[in-house]
Amino acid sequence: MKEQVQESADSLDRVQRWMQAVITHPEGVLSGADGEAARELIDAGRGNLESVVTRSRSLEAADRLAIYANAYYARLIECVGDVFPVLKRVLGDEVFDSFAFDYLQAYPSKRYTLNYLGDSFVDFLRETRPDPEEGNDEVDWADLLIDLAILEWTIYEVFDGPGTEKERMLETGDVAGVDPAAWMSIHLHTPACLQLLQMSYPVNQFYTAVRASDEELVVDYPDAVTSYVAISRRDYIVRRYDLTRPQYELLKVLQAGGAIGQALEACMEVVSDEDLDQLLVDVQQWFSNWTSERCFFQATQKGEIGMDKQDGKDF
Amino acid sequence: MKVPKQLGHANLGLGLGLRTPHFDHILEHRPKVDWFEIISENFMDSQGRPRHVLDQIAEHYPLVMHGVSLSIGSTDPLNLEYLKKLKTLAGEIDAKWVSDHLCWTGVAGQNSHDLLPIPLTEESLKHVIERIHVVQDVMEQAFVFENPSSYVGFTGSTMNEWEFLGRMTEATGCGLLLDVNNVYVSARNHDFDPEEYIRAIPHDRVVQFHLAGHTDCTTHLIDTHDHPVIAEVWALYRLAHELTGGVSTLLEWDANIPPFEELHAEVLKSKRYLQEEGLQGPVVDWEQEACECVPAEEGCVSPHPLHHNTVEVE
Repeated sequence: MKEQVQESADSLDRVQRWMQAVITHPEGVLSGADGEAARELIDAGRGNLESVVTRSRSLEAADRLAIYANAYYARLIECVGDVFPVLKRVLGDEVFDSFAFDYLQAYPSKRYTLNYLGDSFVDFLRETRPDPEEGNDEVDWADLLIDLAILEWTIYEVFDGPGTEKERMLETGDVAGVDPAAWMSIHLHTPACLQLLQMSYPVNQFYTAVRASDEELVVDYPDAVTSYVAISRRDYIVRRYDLTRPQYELLKVLQAGGAIGQALEACMEVVSDEDLDQLLVDVQQWFSNWTSERCFFQATQKGEIGMDKQDGKDF
Repeated sequence: MKVPKQLGHANLGLGLGLRTPHFDHILEHRPKVDWFEIISENFMDSQGRPRHVLDQIAEHYPLVMHGVSLSIGSTDPLNLEYLKKLKTLAGEIDAKWVSDHLCWTGVAGQNSHDLLPIPLTEESLKHVIERIHVVQDVMEQAFVFENPSSYVGFTGSTMNEWEFLGRMTEATGCGLLLDVNNVYVSARNHDFDPEEYIRAIPHDRVVQFHLAGHTDCTTHLIDTHDHPVIAEVWALYRLAHELTGGVSTLLEWDANIPPFEELHAEVLKSKRYLQEEGLQGPVVDWEQEACECVPAEEGCVSPHPLHHNTVEVE
């Protein structure tokens, strides 16, 4: 038996697959060695670990493998927590780590960089959320957590993704000479770092409140109400902006490549008739603010009337 | 294979690992550090502040790239996209050299993000040598490999790590990053003599040293990178310094990262040790000043953490 094990343990590929199966097993090294995945490669089991891994003067093979096994989950759970710090704060370390532990089993890292370690966490939370059909009263809580995870993942992606810092963005003066009649057919191109989110909870305000709270988290959990958020980046720092629904609808159309006229139509559809006059006044201010926040690369009109790009403040 | 001593790389002096918490301090104060080492993966895909900061630092300091994901020992295919990005970054920041570890990080498409040891066999050696040739062809430069700290050995191993490294460098012309603390940690964990290791490696291929602290768990040592360097490691460093003639040295600190000033003070202390090795006679009593090995606190101790960039959000 020992010779057979030794023979199979001589193959580099087999040893690596075996060791990975052993040290990433959620129940630890001994269960890993006894597990089907490991035994199919090297049939050592917990009783014969030393046919593959040597012991030292002070440690048996299982103890030595456990150093890697302990590190595997501990380090990656910490990394997931770094990507979702506010969610971790809300859940508490123990509950969050438990989610992250399950997540890493469902979605083990397959990339060379840790930057994508959290890229399926929102999917995982959705897949494992309590089923609304079962009348579980934790359902609303789950939706808030998912919203928070979406917000944090978006912030994480925008932080190190493509930005506008080295681009010339649209400036107010760039469109000053445009014939007002042509305005409706102008397209304003938005950068990849501008992300628009529609949420089930006022999660951006909740995020701010949790971050601002003292060590002992005292924050009222918000009631469910649809909210709209823009995430962007200026001077390499991620910026968050609450949007009204008309603002969201307008930006959404522009982001999808629609002309200003189409964007305004979408915006007007969600505004009551009595508010329309005010809307036309507000829209000018919105564009001014968004332009100064570097939300538009350039303006084009039917093809390529180049107007260009810009920079600025509050939505 | 005729390879110039230290691959022709100059001794850059004493460097520090570039870590996110120190970005602002370095940009603002431009401290006297001879060079910085970066974790390649933290910057090769960055299109945000990490890369912006790196570009500024590159204007003022020599940079060396140190990766954790090449996985030279894995039986999975080499990731050519990764290699191309590595090469691009090296060119853009004028990296003096690019290193990674003699290890594997995962197999079957998975990445453990750990530096896992390989069985030291003829099969492994052949496999690693073939892959180093590919890496060096793509990178169009000699690559540098670090000896990892390890916690398991394999019954199938047929040679010592120092023999493996010697034959690997001889066959490929690659360089070595000798992590003196890793030698000490592995020596305790595998019951070998660290001095024998350091005397046996090909000294003319050593391009860089790493120095770091570790944690003593009594039955074994863990490479935690969260403490000052201990006296025994300084002694090994002195030996390695003598045998190589002195090469670029980096002080690693990756967990519980202290404020920059504190870390910088450690570098300056190291500088005094180096001066002691010179012809001017002792500057400090290094044995007294060096720290004791730190015992592990209760509970699980993990090898030094992985790094990724800290998000800045308003």
